Amino acid sequence: MFFHIVLERNMQLHPRFFGRNLRENLVSKLMKDVEGTCSGRHGFVVAITGIETIGKGLIRDGTGFVTFPVKYQCVVFRPFKGEILEAVVTLVNKMGFFAEAGPVQIFVSKHLIPDDMEFQTGDMPNYTTSDGSVKIQKECEVRLKIIGTRVDATEIFCVGTIKDDFLGVINDPAAS
Amino acid sequence: MSVASDSPVHSSSSDDLAAFLENELDSDSDSDSSSESFPSEEAEDVANHRSKRRKLEYVETIVEEKIQGVTFSGEFSKASSSKLPCEHPGSFGELCFKCGRSLKEEETGVSFGYMHKGMKLTEEEVAKMRDSDNKVLQRKRKLCLVLDLDHTLLNSTVLRDLRPEEEYLKSLTHSLQDGSGGNLFMLEFMNMMTKLRPFVHTFLKEASELFEMYIYTMGDRPYAEQMAKLLDPKREYFGDRVISRDDGTVRHQKSLDVVLGKESSVLILDDTEHAWPNYKDNLILIERYHFFASSCRQFDHRFQSLSQLESDESEPDGILASILKVLKQTHSLYYEGGGGEDANGRDVRLLLKQVRKEILKGCKVVFSRVFPTKSRPEDHPLWRTAEGLGATCATEVDASVTHVVAMDVGTEKVRWAIREKKFVVHRGWIDAANYLWKRHPEENFGLEQLKKQGTGTEEKTTNDVTLEK
Ligand SMILES: [Mg+2]
Ligand SMILES: [Zn+2]
Repeated sequence: MFFHIVLERNMQLHPRFFGRNLRENLVSKLMKDVEGTCSGRHGFVVAITGIETIGKGLIRDGTGFVTFPVKYQCVVFRPFKGEILEAVVTLVNKMGFFAEAGPVQIFVSKHLIPDDMEFQTGDMPNYTTSDGSVKIQKECEVRLKIIGTRVDATEIFCVGTIKDDFLGVINDPAAS
Repeated sequence: MSVASDSPVHSSSSDDLAAFLENELDSDSDSDSSSESFPSEEAEDVANHRSKRRKLEYVETIVEEKIQGVTFSGEFSKASSSKLPCEHPGSFGELCFKCGRSLKEEETGVSFGYMHKGMKLTEEEVAKMRDSDNKVLQRKRKLCLVLDLDHTLLNSTVLRDLRPEEEYLKSLTHSLQDGSGGNLFMLEFMNMMTKLRPFVHTFLKEASELFEMYIYTMGDRPYAEQMAKLLDPKREYFGDRVISRDDGTVRHQKSLDVVLGKESSVLILDDTEHAWPNYKDNLILIERYHFFASSCRQFDHRFQSLSQLESDESEPDGILASILKVLKQTHSLYYEGGGGEDANGRDVRLLLKQVRKEILKGCKVVFSRVFPTKSRPEDHPLWRTAEGLGATCATEVDASVTHVVAMDVGTEKVRWAIREKKFVVHRGWIDAANYLWKRHPEENFGLEQLKKQGTGTEEKTTNDVTLEK
């Protein structure tokens, strides 16, 4: 699930960035530091959408670095147990498959793939129904349900299922 | 600095959100106990968001009033799992991949990091996968083959260890892009040069038709993957079956724990016997490939490396060609008479022994002053090796003897052999058969050769033999 929230961060800036472009420098450093990272509390920071305030800078003794408290708006992504997501399959192996929904990777074990789908090896490993009508392979889109998440300081782990009503392949680019 | 240190701004709105997120995080850990249900209105709202969520441009701000005071329970989705307790067959990132529970505390199991980071399977699950894999393999009439890299399929050196007389190699390297058929590669980003063993391309191609192949190396992950690229540029042979020391379960050892083949259908090719203490019967020990000078130094060999001699192993007659024959023989014994269900109960470990026994079959060997007097000759490794190779060993000469193995021309048995026109060889003849998996011409191992080389002969010879007086 995506959220739009305000976070605060103390930014340290080298004196060479001071001057007319101070604000721009701060913002671009903020984007570089924060976007794409993950925090256990909020999930993935997907994008910074705006700056609320930049507080007064505080010069650090000895180094000349200045610390600015910056409040910024950002979009974060955090998956929840029970949530239904559409995701793109990235890797298929005999244990199941991995799919990506935005910044999050979800593992769907073969235990939670419908029983009538069987693993096929080869250069394009896949799970296929016995009549060949449905195939899960790399690049195809699936709708899945998250059954567990773990968010630690730098990573989000998700496990999911497609063994339920209305879940499974929604689009296979290789087939069309 | 990590973002984890970021603090939400202390405005009322984000406090609410933080509280909401916090609540949700809490409810995650004890999802079974949560009793509050999600008000249907909000649920609908959330559902609407869900369907739009995939693209960023659809993202809408969640209005804080709606979030206020709401505790998610994991139950706005209907619980799909049955009430049977989950056996937790394995985990991804410490989450059971069958029931979704966090297994941090209770988790045990074998790490399958080479298949994917964060992946673990219990032993029972691995056994199940082996069973189902085995069925597929049997159907395809294949076995498993685990291949070591260094000194087995290739030899690598750090560039700064190149000797001046090896500089010529730099002009002979293949580019990584062209990828096909090359044998010598410069990997500047790793400061390394790698030489593939002669015949390795044919070896892999033909073996891949009979075996599901794994790479298993004591090198680290990036090295393993780079070498896999050199050996298998089209990714036809190994797939994700590349195991590095980072993926092993026991330090300084290799183990079939992480190989999804039954022990009765896995063969191992490696130059290092002690890497496989528990799988000696699966192991085909191969003579080390020392192409670079640094490799010889590493093993304290005094002789010149192949690169220094500007030479190489023979392509059609080298060790990999002999091993390929051994693999084919073992495979055909296993699937003799159709395979499938028939192959049940067959064991490559026994078949490998059988193939080995073909090498010196029909030879009857008598040893003359090779073993120390005090010990029983039957206990000597050389005796056992000869028997393992299919030779019959005896302590006394008679008409049926074909070979006398001696270290010295002056013994009575040697004189008898010369008189009776039997073969007289030094122990190198058995060692060669042992390491190269074929019977070598006896004339290359006569005692005259031994003299020419001086008393030292080969290291193998001097190290573990004490001659009787
Ligand atoms: Mg090795
Ligand atoms: Zn479980």
